[in-house]
Amino acid sequence: MKMSKKGFENYWNPIVETLPLEKMKELQLKKFKNIVQWAYERSKFHRKLYQEAGLEPGDIKSYEDVARVPKVEKAMMRDIQRKDPFPYGDALCVPLEEVTEFRQTSGTTGTPVYQPDTWQDWEWWAESWAYLLYAQGYRRTDRVFLPFGYNIFVAFWAGHYAAEKIGCEVVPGGVLDTEARLLKIQELKATAMMATPTYVLGMADTARKKLGIDPAKDLTIRKITCAGEPGASIPSTKQRMEEAWGAKVYDHVGATEIGAWGFECTAQPGGLHVNEALFLTQLEDIETGEIIEEPGRRGKIVITALDRMAQPCIRFDSKDVAEWSKDPCPCGRTFRIIKGGVVGRSDDITKIKGVLIAPSAIEEVVRSIKGLSNEFEAVVIKKGDLDDITLKIELLPDAEGNREAILNQLRDQLRLKTNLGYNIEVHPYNSLPRYEVKAKRFKDLRK
Amino acid sequence: MNRMKLKKMDVRIKKIKKAAEELKELSGGIQAVDRNASRILASVKMLEINISDILDINL
Repeated sequence: MKMSKKGFENYWNPIVETLPLEKMKELQLKKFKNIVQWAYERSKFHRKLYQEAGLEPGDIKSYEDVARVPKVEKAMMRDIQRKDPFPYGDALCVPLEEVTEFRQTSGTTGTPVYQPDTWQDWEWWAESWAYLLYAQGYRRTDRVFLPFGYNIFVAFWAGHYAAEKIGCEVVPGGVLDTEARLLKIQELKATAMMATPTYVLGMADTARKKLGIDPAKDLTIRKITCAGEPGASIPSTKQRMEEAWGAKVYDHVGATEIGAWGFECTAQPGGLHVNEALFLTQLEDIETGEIIEEPGRRGKIVITALDRMAQPCIRFDSKDVAEWSKDPCPCGRTFRIIKGGVVGRSDDITKIKGVLIAPSAIEEVVRSIKGLSNEFEAVVIKKGDLDDITLKIELLPDAEGNREAILNQLRDQLRLKTNLGYNIEVHPYNSLPRYEVKAKRFKDLRK
Repeated sequence: MNRMKLKKMDVRIKKIKKAAEELKELSGGIQAVDRNASRILASVKMLEINISDILDINL
């Protein structure tokens, strides 16, 4: 663990970020035992879960034993909440009066889950974001603009506090509309920004059409941190964002119940580092539950936040699907990389005409074709016993002359990348729904 | 960064923690002291995560 002082500058914490994997696992095991013990002693929910599985905290002796601990799913949290201690229920591990922060999940997959945090947990949230922002090149000299609604969803809240912690100047662009946000970015010469991919592209569109501003030339944003959607890890979407803004676009992945557990670094290695200092992350075979250690095999991510105390996140089934990368990162971090980021969600990956498909594969194709707008919508229905998928797209106004060539390219690429044939519907430019935060572009109406 | 230096940092982290806890004991319930000391302790926990906890393993 020798490192020159000069080598420190690229890391938020060079000690843990360059720790060999075996040492990291040793550290994780110790912390995992602690958090399980903490939850067992304080949370009725966890104690019951473990007792029913015939497990006591003392039974965890090796790293392999981690997988013996029962998983927690979002639905289980929904079931115990809205009860005393109100509204969090039996998983709360601290006296209610120690909770200083309330957030909730977006409710995309059902009733929202509430997330209580103490001030220490909130510091921890900011810490997890500080690792990622620092890895993405945020420094004290940055003026960071946050164009999101500061409300009950965690979104970029911790990004705000982490940027402050790093020493950046933070500009909260809360209730301003898109045009006002763009003008403020221009006025203040902001250098960095955090937003969902949908909003990053939408802002660029608004800048050009309504303000006559070319973000790449007229604004000074040079790094953008994305969250909330997989777009920044989809090469074609990332490229569109980077070209539109003349900025580096970095992905990060996290969840309200978990924390900010993965991030892309400035080396952009084609994947996301897992923050192994704060999270114990395992990939499980979706069918068998077997732990996957080798690269190149997909599984779902089961994750533990090692230091989150008020409502512990222990072996949380994130439903995110990923695979380990075999390549080390040129940045020098030993935090493992999930190749290509989160490639889908186990509950999103669906079978259409007998073919398994992740909606992100459609996005990758549409956004890779010049002449198509950023917006699209895929709708799956049942026609008799057969699945039928329609892809609605828009041609850019100046692409009408190449209509047939573009549509042929789209059909070929869709066939190649998704193994499916689609009904293609071309809609007038600007007529498909526009989204401000998280987009819903894949609609499965068979259910 | 050698283990000795980590230990030196850990000693100072423990001192900050002890001082913040003693402040709370001495405050006689003055909220301006208690709550600010609690915030210091939350930051101390981040120092423990980043430095002290690492001393639990053989580097």
